[in-house]
Amino acid sequence: MAVDYIYVEVILRAYRKYFLNKFLWFLVTLVSAFLLNFILPRLMPGDPVAAIVSRLAQGMSNTSGIQAIYEQYTELFGTNKPLLEQFVIYVKNVVQGDFGFSFSQYPRTVADVIKSSIWWTIALQFPAIIVGWLIGNSLGALAAYLRGSFDKVFMPISIFASNLPAFGMAVILMVVFAVTLKWFPTSGGYGFDLIPNFSWKFIWSVIVHYQLPFWSIVLITIGGQAIGMRSMSIYELNADYVKYSRFMGIKDRKIVSYVFRNAMLPQITGLALSIGTMVGGALVAEIIFSYPGLGSTILTAVLGQDYPLISAATLIITIMVLSANFLIEIVYGFLDPRIKAVQAD
Amino acid sequence: MSNVLLEVRELTTKYVTRFREDVYAVDHVSLKVEEGKTLGIAGESGCGKSTLALSLMGYYFPPLHYISGDILINGKNISKMKPDDIRKSVLGNEIAYIPQAAMNALNPTRRIIHFIEDVMQAHELYITKKDIYNRARELFETLGLPEEVLHKYPVELSGGMKQRTVIAVSVLLLPKVLIADEPSSALDVTSQKMVIKMLRQLMEKGLISSLIFITHELPLLYNVTDDIMVMYAGQIVEKASSKDAVFDPLHPYAKGLMGSIIVPESGLRDVKLTAIPGVPPNLKNPPAGCRFAERCKYVRPDCRTSSVHLRDVNDTRTYRCILPENELRDIYAKEVAQNG
Amino acid sequence: MKQIIQQIFRSGKFIVGFSIFTTILLVVIVYPLLIPDPPLNIIGQGTFFEPGIYVSVFDSISSPQYTLNLDEAAAKRIASKLGEEDRLAIKEWLIASGIPEGEIEIENTEKLLDQWFENYDPAKNIPGMTNAKRNYFIRLNKAITGLLSDEGMSITVKNAETGVLEEKGTIVPSAYVNVNEVPNVRVLPLGTDNFGRDVLTELVAATRVSLQIGFVAGIIATLIGLTLGLLSGYVGGVVDDVIMFITNLFIVIPSFVLLILISFSIGQDQRGAFTIAMVIGFTSWVWTARAVRSQVISLRNRDHVNLSKLSGHSVVHIILTDILPYIASYVVMALILQISSGILAEAGLSILGLGPRTTEVPTLGLMMNWAMIYQAHILGKWWAYFPVIITIALITFSMNLMNTGLDQVFNPALRD
Ligand SMILES: Nc1ncnc2c1ncn2[C@@H]1O[C@H](COP(=O)(O)OP(=O)(O)O)[C@@H](O)[C@H]1O
Ligand SMILES: [Mg+2]
Repeated sequence: MAVDYIYVEVILRAYRKYFLNKFLWFLVTLVSAFLLNFILPRLMPGDPVAAIVSRLAQGMSNTSGIQAIYEQYTELFGTNKPLLEQFVIYVKNVVQGDFGFSFSQYPRTVADVIKSSIWWTIALQFPAIIVGWLIGNSLGALAAYLRGSFDKVFMPISIFASNLPAFGMAVILMVVFAVTLKWFPTSGGYGFDLIPNFSWKFIWSVIVHYQLPFWSIVLITIGGQAIGMRSMSIYELNADYVKYSRFMGIKDRKIVSYVFRNAMLPQITGLALSIGTMVGGALVAEIIFSYPGLGSTILTAVLGQDYPLISAATLIITIMVLSANFLIEIVYGFLDPRIKAVQAD
Repeated sequence: MSNVLLEVRELTTKYVTRFREDVYAVDHVSLKVEEGKTLGIAGESGCGKSTLALSLMGYYFPPLHYISGDILINGKNISKMKPDDIRKSVLGNEIAYIPQAAMNALNPTRRIIHFIEDVMQAHELYITKKDIYNRARELFETLGLPEEVLHKYPVELSGGMKQRTVIAVSVLLLPKVLIADEPSSALDVTSQKMVIKMLRQLMEKGLISSLIFITHELPLLYNVTDDIMVMYAGQIVEKASSKDAVFDPLHPYAKGLMGSIIVPESGLRDVKLTAIPGVPPNLKNPPAGCRFAERCKYVRPDCRTSSVHLRDVNDTRTYRCILPENELRDIYAKEVAQNG
Repeated sequence: MKQIIQQIFRSGKFIVGFSIFTTILLVVIVYPLLIPDPPLNIIGQGTFFEPGIYVSVFDSISSPQYTLNLDEAAAKRIASKLGEEDRLAIKEWLIASGIPEGEIEIENTEKLLDQWFENYDPAKNIPGMTNAKRNYFIRLNKAITGLLSDEGMSITVKNAETGVLEEKGTIVPSAYVNVNEVPNVRVLPLGTDNFGRDVLTELVAATRVSLQIGFVAGIIATLIGLTLGLLSGYVGGVVDDVIMFITNLFIVIPSFVLLILISFSIGQDQRGAFTIAMVIGFTSWVWTARAVRSQVISLRNRDHVNLSKLSGHSVVHIILTDILPYIASYVVMALILQISSGILAEAGLSILGLGPRTTEVPTLGLMMNWAMIYQAHILGKWWAYFPVIITIALITFSMNLMNTGLDQVFNPALRD
């Protein structure tokens, strides 16, 4: 008799293989992100790096201050050296966290600007996305299970909500709850008259300012996730194993638990794949609230023609997204029992 | 005459599609299965075989709906029972079902033993996990399945092993009747043989009392079944002993279908039922008159208008045609003479 | 084909989406025919004029006048002139004059004025009243009385020779003009924006440009995705490996980051609407490529494809006749999704200040950007941003509905 089942002695080995695979892929994407971040601007017709160099050569920047910043940048990144050499210098600098001076917020360094905004973004977006994901999936599962009128009312609302751009939701929440009802402040990460410290007053102010940006991201996430979970669940409800389980007399409640667990797993993969897009939408929502995160940083950088800051901010966001993606994959590895089986093949 | 285990009288069920159209996929079907016997159900894809199998369970959920008719298991009419009673005391205990796509019949994220626990606990409230395990191990041993399978996830099993596992799980509660819907399609030849052997074993070892075997691959039927029922467009068109159905079919559709059985053993699996040109009618609005008329070689004008009923040839044999037996036989004889 | 279209139009969701979308399209096409003004014309001097009907004052004066004796005219006139502050001041006076607070309704203009005329006396002194306050009340009383007087206003014209003002006519409070007879009336259903441009005209033009951006981006993305997906799925081997590597890479590297980087590097001067559309298209093909590839793989070994291979048909022929027709529905759905996400991508970019050059055409994103920069949302100028959000949502909503409808028809596993 042929060996028609696979017997793995050490499950751990399979897990290790999975994680190693994922980690290697993480590294590959990271390196590619570096490469793209370096090369894309230099390929474009308006190449901002070349522009810096040429303006420097022509001495066009009349104010000596700007001239000095450009010089520092050119020196730090060797922008008039050959491309390959530039890349090596770039990677070296970036690894050391040295992105040069910000053009628009001189004398602050880019690293300093990023450092002061990144935590706002992380603390805002990731909790919001996770909360939205959880609520959305529960509601979607409920809609698939209950169908009927709950489904009929809830689904159109979610479809409409998920089609609202994140900034649209942000504006609406802001107009309703901040401008009209005045329950929450309209903008900022904390009261403009406060200096960041660990007083209760400050913390309270941060919490109050956090609410609207947070809920606008949550609401947007809920819509899309609910729709996805609902159709995943309906798809699973039609799966062959559901029919078989029913005909073996298993109770509906049990079958529903099978279905939701199985429908949830692709939703996790879906989260890993779409977290980039979500973060993008949320960054724009940050801008609406003038939240002191990376979204607003990018806006000021764009307005100030601050290439080093843009470059660093986009790189940091990419690294954030890639890491989140990697983390989700790791969690998924623990949740889906099939992973170890497939890896053992 | 031995004990009739399953008797179905004029069972009619329908699908309601998304667009609220009715599809009558099982139309006034009657049948009997005796203890110790195997009934084969044949017919092209889309003739309603799977739907009949589902309908026989007496447990309906959308899009399939019960319309009329009776299902008697061991004399007990289950079509009058409450769904939850059927679930608890009929499904798995009296009648069990192996779906067409047995490969996907197991929850991919549940170990086999946990699924078995779910099945047992759905029927017996106070059974312990230890008892369940022992019972499952014993059954698997009887059926020649390795015990390790119990601890695996379905993805870790090969296709054939999954199929056999599903069969084993289906007979866990010792049902009287087992319905196997194309249990061997989509498997390689070795696995196929193994599955057939296993189904035979179930009967021999007394794990089940009767078997209903559904297939569109006719060669299998003659070897496995006692009686054969041919379905077309949701209706029975011929019911006879295996020997008669294969070597002496009366209905033109059965005749066309069985035509392919005489092909030598080797290439059998590749013979698709293209012997009859055309496809079965759409059951959303089935043709009036004889449903096979469109494709029948011997069609007559009144086939399309007058309603056709089942004609009983004798106690065990029946067919659906406007022509009486002797006229049909004459036509067939003439045809043979012409072709030399 | 006919049957498929019938099926599609039996899906409620598709019909709703389709109707919304065609309505938007129709408005975009018909509106410019009726109102051919250039959308970026600055017509208003000042920012954020409220929605309404604007009647030329100059023309009204010289239009035929009619006398209408309407009872509430005076009260209405005063009601619109009396600010919140004035009403509170009146209340203050009335309370000081000994009227119980419960009897004063500051929103009921008629009653308030009656009480005022009964109780106001310029000679009276309220304890603690400053001189300024006192003068304020005198002025207020004068203004109210002036508004109530029947005398009317005179229209004077300066005599060019003598430089003396000569009365040309008077306008009494009961004089009316018929709006139809005033030659210059402008309806601004959505008011004006921060630059003084007609929001509705601008919005229609912006919708058109945004749709164009969406279409161009969607078609580019779909073409790239389709080509790569077909190659990867059908050819397989190394080609597949390479394409899939790139695809998977760009799935995890967020496309908006690339969009920001590229748009910024292209520079403001080079960024036309079409360029933006191309950039969006070039950064958003990954999902299509993946979907097409998996579809092609499942088709690759079907009987009809094998048959075609055996009959010696070329790869191009097989792809065109045996593969494309089978994945056409997926490709259409992918295209629809790409178009709507392209529109969203443009909007996001514009809010970041990376949208198309602002001097040529409006886009939905640019309108949003302007409204946000000028704080329309904080100032309560809803007409500058809310219609934009609704338009974006309606476009994406309708496209998504159409997609869901198509999905139901072509993917029966997803029932309802
Ligand atoms: N879920 C369903 N909804 C509507 N019609 C169905 C559904 N499943 C099957 N049918 C229709 O019922 C008929 C019988 O199908 P089926 O029982 O699967 O046939 P078989 O098993 O003989 O291939 C076919 O015409 C098929 O189109
Ligand atoms: Mg079937």
